Amino acid sequence: MSDYQTHVFTCTYTADVSGVCSAMYELGGMTILHDPSGCNSTYSTHDEPRWYEEKSLMFISGLDEMTAVFGDDQVLIDDVVHAAGDLNPGFITLCGGAMPHIIAFDYKGVAHLIEQETGLPVIPVPTDGLKSYISGVGKALTAWIKRFANREERGEGLSVNLLGVTPLDFSINGNVESMRREFEEAGIPVNCCAAMGEDFESLSHIYKGTVNVVVSSAGRRPARYMERMAGIPRVEGIPMGRNMSHKLMDAVRTAYEEHRNVILYEENEDHDRWTVPQGQILIIGEEIFAQTLAAAINTLEPEKRYGLTAYALWPDVDEGFPERELIQAMRQAGIVIADPLYKVVLREKDRTVFVPFPHEAYSGRIYRKEIPLFAGSEFKPEILFQHVNMNK
Amino acid sequence: MDQRKEKQIEQNRNKNRSFHANRFDHAYSRIGDLTYEYNADTGLAYASPVRGVWNIVHIATLVPEGHQIFVCPTSCLRGVVLTTAEMGAMDKLSTITVGEDNILEGDMEEMLYAGTERIIRELPRKPRMIMIFTSCIHHFMAVNYHRVYKLLQDKYPEIDFVDCYMDPIMRRTAPVVPSLWRQLHRALKPVDGLNLKQVNLIGNCFPHKKESCDLTALLYNNGINIVELNSCRTYDEFQTESESCCNFIFHNHGIKAAKDMEIRLKQKWYKLRPGYSYEEYDQDLMEISRMLGISPPSIRELEELKSRVEDKVEETRRLFNGLPVSIDYTAVDHPLELALYLIRHGFRVESVYVDVFTERQEIFESLKEKNPDLKIYQTSGWNMRQMDRHRKEKILCIGQKAAYFNDSNHFVNVIENEGMYGYRGILTLMEAMVQAYKEEKPMKELVQIKGWGCNCI
Repeated sequence: MSDYQTHVFTCTYTADVSGVCSAMYELGGMTILHDPSGCNSTYSTHDEPRWYEEKSLMFISGLDEMTAVFGDDQVLIDDVVHAAGDLNPGFITLCGGAMPHIIAFDYKGVAHLIEQETGLPVIPVPTDGLKSYISGVGKALTAWIKRFANREERGEGLSVNLLGVTPLDFSINGNVESMRREFEEAGIPVNCCAAMGEDFESLSHIYKGTVNVVVSSAGRRPARYMERMAGIPRVEGIPMGRNMSHKLMDAVRTAYEEHRNVILYEENEDHDRWTVPQGQILIIGEEIFAQTLAAAINTLEPEKRYGLTAYALWPDVDEGFPERELIQAMRQAGIVIADPLYKVVLREKDRTVFVPFPHEAYSGRIYRKEIPLFAGSEFKPEILFQHVNMNK
Repeated sequence: MDQRKEKQIEQNRNKNRSFHANRFDHAYSRIGDLTYEYNADTGLAYASPVRGVWNIVHIATLVPEGHQIFVCPTSCLRGVVLTTAEMGAMDKLSTITVGEDNILEGDMEEMLYAGTERIIRELPRKPRMIMIFTSCIHHFMAVNYHRVYKLLQDKYPEIDFVDCYMDPIMRRTAPVVPSLWRQLHRALKPVDGLNLKQVNLIGNCFPHKKESCDLTALLYNNGINIVELNSCRTYDEFQTESESCCNFIFHNHGIKAAKDMEIRLKQKWYKLRPGYSYEEYDQDLMEISRMLGISPPSIRELEELKSRVEDKVEETRRLFNGLPVSIDYTAVDHPLELALYLIRHGFRVESVYVDVFTERQEIFESLKEKNPDLKIYQTSGWNMRQMDRHRKEKILCIGQKAAYFNDSNHFVNVIENEGMYGYRGILTLMEAMVQAYKEEKPMKELVQIKGWGCNCI
């Protein structure tokens, strides 16, 4: 049986609690992490590139032993009410780590009580600190849309919402702006980008978008919710390089005209077995990013990719990845494109060529400056191979 | 919203304020308005971008040939793993993730045992010591990890297994850093006959050099060998700590280790007072000389040091010429006492950043009397997030947090006293203050580096 839990050499992806904070960062609220300590400094140090420059309100509750043992939720309620009185946020988000989870903390009930005492809207996001950021971002955006978006609004004509957008997948190096530009230049207005470059007011009009583009798997949950509530179709993929960008724009138009969901790439059905054909190109990363990049590479002429085919593997939202199987897949691959922290598992004798592609949700701020601009037509997938020597 | 509802909300807010009588409605409070019982560790906490203080990963990485295994949920692992990755020390850390199924099935012991075995099997070299960090969740699930460690120890007798804890939920009764310093030294085994010419300095992230520490100078002059974990190159060298006759502690977080070593290894210990009292320095050095049976520093030597310190302090004061000074608790163990010392020497101390008063009450009362308008900022308070950090006037800061909150590039970049103690410590600090006055530092970049000065980097 695969061991998803023991990681001898490899790192850990951003957790769900940081995902919640990241999604809520620019919306004018106050986010409370209900946990003893540490989650807030982890988030602000490794998972949040905007922390130094932009003053968003994120705090940890500082749950302690006695409060947990007695289940004294009033401590948290009083603290939040007092802080909200001082800071006057537009709304409050309540999420938490593993300890509230195992003492069966009632997010919904406590959110209701805080709301009663402050008069401010409070959205409960019952995270548990056991899952990846994909879960946290998805839950938070869905909860926000459910509570604050104007569900009665409808857009006229084709426009898109970009869903699942956080610095964890797109950093702050211009990818988001480039992605927006790509749609605008194709004549497709971007209604909302959930949730970077938006504020509370602008995001509340998200139902005016007529197609949801899920650019990270974190956006699937809100997309499904909006599909259920308003029948908005979704397209999965990133405008990554000229070919994929054209395909994506076509897919968006198809989704709009035929009112159906479209996925930009062929999904790797072997993903669950954590295997890819030997000697080929292996891409490791967030699901939609990795699959789009694989598709982008596979649209290149064979000689530009050494005649190889690219395959994607991505971590499971609940379990992460089984390190042994992943290492095996990496050591058997011809080329691996992944975050630089994965390189450690390759040995001298392995013939695999490693191409670093930093991912904020994996290596945090360490390689932030080296994250490429991968969204938009300007990105050329072939540049990833410019320093590759297959005769190694 | 109707008026009745609004009134109810306002009443609730006021009621709740009374629960937090020691918190600030603004970013700071006058010391004159505070009581000694002030403690900011209540309520919601803010984490500033200042990251210089070492965490448990930095400290545990000091163990040569050691390996850390963290057993936690994903959200807890993320911070420790990236701390290690930023140090470029991923070969010294592995993880075992606690999942939902472990909570439901209660198989944490099996997972811990199997995971640790796999790590030992797959590491390229067997570590000499394995530190296994369990987390908050293990306490609440009543996990019998000691049984697991016993089985592991029986199977791998060549490795020292040490139980360590990353359980901030217990921080009020068993804070993690003192606990870690104690646990790291649990690997030391009793020896026959202690070496009267060797002592340990324990609980320190930074080495104590003889140029900036009176104790080191005293020991050096008397031919006493000093062992400090932060300077050990091999595990065998670290093991020689068990031969030392005495343990000296500068920081409160080393006391647990010293008490434990007194019981297990029969080593005496002494806690030095790294404040700013000449009398205490003299007493400390005399007492230590007596304990070790060595020559104490002469009265003449101490007077000469005092005189040098007074001259240097006066020279610095003249240079500063009324420049405001701000101090934080991450730089020095006794920020209030340093503020009092500087004020008594004519400096203009404007603010102290401190989350809890751990110094003697008389220091607090003296400072309150001397300068009731001194601003006390709690660094983890929620109002600090909205604080306007920008200021027109130049300010000299001692510590990263003071520098960040005052938005100042003129700061002394030290953590945990950085090996400074006694007269030589004050001389070193004054020199650092003069340098900080003369030269700007790239504060934004420096304060965000995790574990400042960690020699593992």
